[in-house]
Amino acid sequence: MFDFSIVTRWFDELLRGTLGLGDFGAILIECVIVGLAIIIGYAVLAIILIFMERKVCAYFQCRIGPVRVGWWGTLQVFADVLKMLIKEIFVVDKADKLLYYLAPFLVITASIGTFSFLPWNKGAAVLDFNVGIFLVTAISSIGVLGVFIAGWASNNKYSVLSAMRAAVQMISYELSLGICLISAVILTNTMQISGIVEAQTGPWQWLIFQGHIPATLGFLVFCIAGNAEANRGPFDLAEAESELTAGYHTEYSGMGFGFYYLAEYLNLFVISGLATTIFLGGWAPINIGIEGFDALMNYIPGIVWFLGKTFVVVFLLMWIRWTFPRLRVDQILKLEWKYLMPLSLVILVLMTVCVAFGWTFTIA
Amino acid sequence: MENKESYFGEIGSAFKTLATGLKTTMKEYFTPKSTEQYPENRKTTLHVAQRHRGRLVFKRDESENYNCVACLMCEKACPNGTIRITSEMRTDPETGKKKRALLNYQYDMGDCMFCQLCVNACNFDAIEFTNDFENAVFDRSQLVIHLNEEVYKGGSLPNIIDGGADWQVGTFNTKTK
Amino acid sequence: MKLENKEFGFERFADEMAKLKKEQHFDYLVTIVGEDFGAEEGLGCIYIFENTQTHERCSVKQMAKQVGDDYVIPTVCKLWADADLLEREVYDFYGIKFLGHPDMRRLYLRNDFKGYPLRKDYDMDPAKNMYTTEDDIEVDTTTEWNLTADGKLVATAHKLFTDDEFVVNVGPQHPSTHGVLRLQTVLDGEKVKRIYPHLGYIHRGIEKMCESYTYPQTLALTDRMNYLSAMMHRHALVGVIEEAMGIELSERILYIRTIMDELQRIDNHLLYTSCCAQDLGALTGMLYGMRDREHVLNVMEETTGGRLIQNYYRIGGLQADIDPNFVANTKALCKYLRPMIQEYLDVFGDNVITHQRFEGIGAMNQEDCINYAVTGPAGRASGWRNDVRKYHPYAMYNKVDFEEIVLTNGDSMDRYYCHIKEMYQSLNIIEQLIDNIPEGDFYIKQKPIIKVPEGQWYFSVEGASGEFGAYLDSRGDKSAYRLKFRPMGLTLVGAMDKMLQGQKIADLVTTGAALDFVIPDIDR
Repeated sequence: MFDFSIVTRWFDELLRGTLGLGDFGAILIECVIVGLAIIIGYAVLAIILIFMERKVCAYFQCRIGPVRVGWWGTLQVFADVLKMLIKEIFVVDKADKLLYYLAPFLVITASIGTFSFLPWNKGAAVLDFNVGIFLVTAISSIGVLGVFIAGWASNNKYSVLSAMRAAVQMISYELSLGICLISAVILTNTMQISGIVEAQTGPWQWLIFQGHIPATLGFLVFCIAGNAEANRGPFDLAEAESELTAGYHTEYSGMGFGFYYLAEYLNLFVISGLATTIFLGGWAPINIGIEGFDALMNYIPGIVWFLGKTFVVVFLLMWIRWTFPRLRVDQILKLEWKYLMPLSLVILVLMTVCVAFGWTFTIA
Repeated sequence: MENKESYFGEIGSAFKTLATGLKTTMKEYFTPKSTEQYPENRKTTLHVAQRHRGRLVFKRDESENYNCVACLMCEKACPNGTIRITSEMRTDPETGKKKRALLNYQYDMGDCMFCQLCVNACNFDAIEFTNDFENAVFDRSQLVIHLNEEVYKGGSLPNIIDGGADWQVGTFNTKTK
Repeated sequence: MKLENKEFGFERFADEMAKLKKEQHFDYLVTIVGEDFGAEEGLGCIYIFENTQTHERCSVKQMAKQVGDDYVIPTVCKLWADADLLEREVYDFYGIKFLGHPDMRRLYLRNDFKGYPLRKDYDMDPAKNMYTTEDDIEVDTTTEWNLTADGKLVATAHKLFTDDEFVVNVGPQHPSTHGVLRLQTVLDGEKVKRIYPHLGYIHRGIEKMCESYTYPQTLALTDRMNYLSAMMHRHALVGVIEEAMGIELSERILYIRTIMDELQRIDNHLLYTSCCAQDLGALTGMLYGMRDREHVLNVMEETTGGRLIQNYYRIGGLQADIDPNFVANTKALCKYLRPMIQEYLDVFGDNVITHQRFEGIGAMNQEDCINYAVTGPAGRASGWRNDVRKYHPYAMYNKVDFEEIVLTNGDSMDRYYCHIKEMYQSLNIIEQLIDNIPEGDFYIKQKPIIKVPEGQWYFSVEGASGEFGAYLDSRGDKSAYRLKFRPMGLTLVGAMDKMLQGQKIADLVTTGAALDFVIPDIDR
C-alpha cells in the first residue's frame, strides 16, 4: 500500500535540508501549499458533486438532466459558477450588515474545517490530532451558527423561521452523530482519525464488519443523522422551498448564496467521507483473508478506495433525498429524540459490551 | 388510528413503506427517460398534433386562390379584435354585378387567443388554423401578418402540417434522430 | 335549472333565511349572485341553495334596500359560513353592504379602486380606468355596517390584528400557493392563529367582459379560469346556454363530452397528486405524475388541438369530431395509467412520511364542510355526498356506472386518497363509454347569431375540485345580461382559516396542496 507520508517527508526535508529553511519558513510554506490543495480539492469536489446530483436526481425523475453545455452537460456547473460569480451582491435594507456578510464565511469555514479532517490516503490526512473526532464535531457546529446568523441578519420573516428550524434540527442531530462516533472510538480505542483507519486495515477489519450489529446500526444512524446535519432532504426543512421559499439564504445573492450552495454539497461529501472513514474503513481496501485477492486489492491506491466508498455513500444519500417527502419540524425532532437518540444510546451500550467481552469480529 | 401498533411494529411498517419508495425510484432510475429534446428534435422526432392551433392561415387551392370574400364575419366574431379587414366594392366587367373584394386581411397574432371563433364563423371555408407553432419573433410588429399577401407553404419545419413524427401513448420520442 | 326565485322582502329576509336553513334543511349555500337588475328594480342578490338530504335546489331573490347612497341587505354569513367571502365579492362588485357582516372589505379589487364595476351605470371610459402603478393601500382594520333603529347606517371598525402579532404573508409570490394567492397569516411561533385570504391578483373581470361579449365569445374565457378543469368549465357554460335555448344534443356529443370531462378530471388529479408531492418536498413523486399527465394531454390534444386551453365544446356540440385514433389512444391510455397510479402511491401516497404529514391535518368534519361549502373531493373526504354527477346528472352520467368516492376523516390524507380513487372511477367511466360512442352529429348547427330567451338559469357540473356552476340571466339579447360563475376554489380558500387554526405553518402548505384550488378560477 502506497504511503503518502513518503512524499510529505521528502518535501519537508527538501525545504529544511536542501533549501536550509528554519522551522518557521518550512512550516509556513507547507501550510500554504496544503491550504491551497484543500481549497482546490474542495472546489473540484463541489463541482463534481453538483454535477452528480443534477444527473442522479434527473435519472431518478425520468429526466436526463443537463445536456446542452459541453458534452453530456459536463460544463453546466462551470457555467453556473461563472454566472454566480458575476452576479450582483446586494444587501437587504435594514439587514444587520456585519452579521449578514459574516454568516456565509462561518458556514464555509466550518465546512472546509471538517473537510480537512478526511483521511485521503495512508499518510495523507491533513489535520490529524489525537482528539480528532472531538475536533470534527466541534468545528462542524460552527456551521449551525452561520445558518442561524444568516437567518437572523437577513431581516426576513421566512429566514428567521428557517433559522430557528435549522438551529433546532442541527443541534439535536449532533447528539446522535456524536454518540455514533464515540461508539467507533470505543471499538478502535483511539480518537485520532488516522488511528481509526489504521485499525480497519487487514481482513474483514472495517468497523462495520468488526463491530457487526452495533456498527451496522451505528452506520445507519450516522447516515440519517448526517443527512439531517447537512440539511438535506428529507430533512431539508430549513430551506423547504415550498414553505419558506429558500429559507435562511433567501436574501443572499451571488457568491453569498454560492457559499451556502457549496457548503451544502461539501457537507454531504464530508458526512459521507466521515461515514466511510469511521465505518467503511476509510482508505483501507477490502481484504478477505485470501492472499492473492488481498494483494490485488492493496495494489489499488488508497485514495481510490476512499473516493469510491465515499461516492457510494453519497449516491445512497442522494437516492434517499430524491425519494422521500420532507418531514415537518416537530416530526424531525420526534424522530431524533424518540427513535434515533435511544437507538444510538443502545448502540453505545451494545458496543461497549461487545468490546468488553471481546465479542468483536476479528481474524487475527 | 384505532389499533395502535407497538413501538417496534410501527417502526417496522414504516421501514416497509420507505423501502417500497426506494425500490420504485431505483426501478425508474433504469427505465427509459421522458425528456424530449426540443430544438434538437425539431426536424426529426418532434410530433405536433395536427389540430394544434399554431396560427391562422388562408386556405388556398392549387392556383393559390383564396376563398375570402371579405364578409367580415370573422372580424365580428373575434373577441379580441385580432382581425382587421379592408375591402372595396368592385364591378365585375363581364357580368356588371357589384362584388366586394378583399384588399387587406390583417391578422395580429400577438393579440390572438386561438379560440377558433373566426374559423367557426367563416361561411366560405377561407381560413384555418395550422399547427405551425414556431412563431417567436424579436419584434411585435412582425406578428402582424397580412394573410392575403402571404402564400403559406408550410411552416419552418418539414412535415409538421401532417403532425411530424409518429407518436404512441405511453412513450416519449426521446431520441433526437 | 331554470330559477324560480322566492322573494321574502327586506323585513322578513333574515327570519325566512334562518327558517330555510333550520327547518327546510337548505344548508348548502351554493352561491350568491350579485346583480344589477336595471334602473327600475335596482341592485340585489340571488341566493342558490341545496338541501343536502334530498339534493333539491331552490333560489331566493333579495333586492337591496337603499339607504341614502348605500344599498344594504342583511348578512347570512352567520347561517352559512361560505357567505363570508361570497358577500364580500358582491360588495366588491356592486357596493351592496351586508348588515352585520363583520368584515366588509373589498375582496378582488384593490383597496384604492373607485366605484363598483359590475353596476350597469359604471363608467367604462378607458381614461377613467387606467391601471395604476402605485402601491395598493394596506388596511389593517375592517368595517362592519349596521342599521340603527331610526334607519341610519353606522360603521363599526374592527382590527384585523393587534400590534404585537407576527404576521407572515404567504404569497402572492410563493412557490406553494399555486398561483398568486396571498394568505396573510398570523402566527404564534410556528402555529397559525388566523388566516386572511387576499384575492384578486389575477382578477381579469371575466364576468364583466361576458356582459359585452356575444354568447360564443364568452366560451373562450372559461378555459382560462381553472385551466385544469377547462373542459368542465366550458361544459357548465354551454350547458346553461343550451338548456336555456332548449337545444337537443345527439348521443354522440354527450358521449364525447363525458369522456372528455373525465380525461380532464384525470389530468387534473394527476397534477394534484404531483403537486401534493411537490409541496411536501418529494420532487421525484411529482415528476412521475407530470410525466403521465403528458400522455393524457397528448391524447386530448390530438382531438381538441389544445393542451391547457382546450377550446373544444361549443354551443350545440363540439368543435370537431374526435380524431380517428382517439378511441385506440384512449384505450391505450387507460391501460397505461392503471398501474401508474399505484406507482404514485408507492413512491409518495403510502409513504410513512406522507401519512405523518397528512393525517389529521386541515381536518374538517362533514357539518363544517357543508357550512363552508367545501365541495368536490375535499368535501367528499369528510363524508358529504355532493357529487354533482350523481345528484344533478348531466351528459351521460346517469347512464354510466360509477361510484361516488366518500371517505370519513376529512383530513388531508383522505382528500389525497379521494383524488386517487376518483382517478380509477374516471378510468372506469371512460372504459364504459369509449367502445360505444354512437354515430351521429358532433355539432347541431346553430344560427349565426345566438340569442337566448329571457329568464334565469343555473347549471352546474362536477369540476375537478368541486362544483362549478354557471348562472345566466338573459334578457333575450345576443349577449348575457349577467353571467356569473361559481368558482370551485373560492369556498375552499374561505375554509382554510377554519381548517388551520392551531396547526403549523408547514401544515398551511400541506392543506393548501390537499385542497386543490387553482387561483385563476377563484379570481376569474
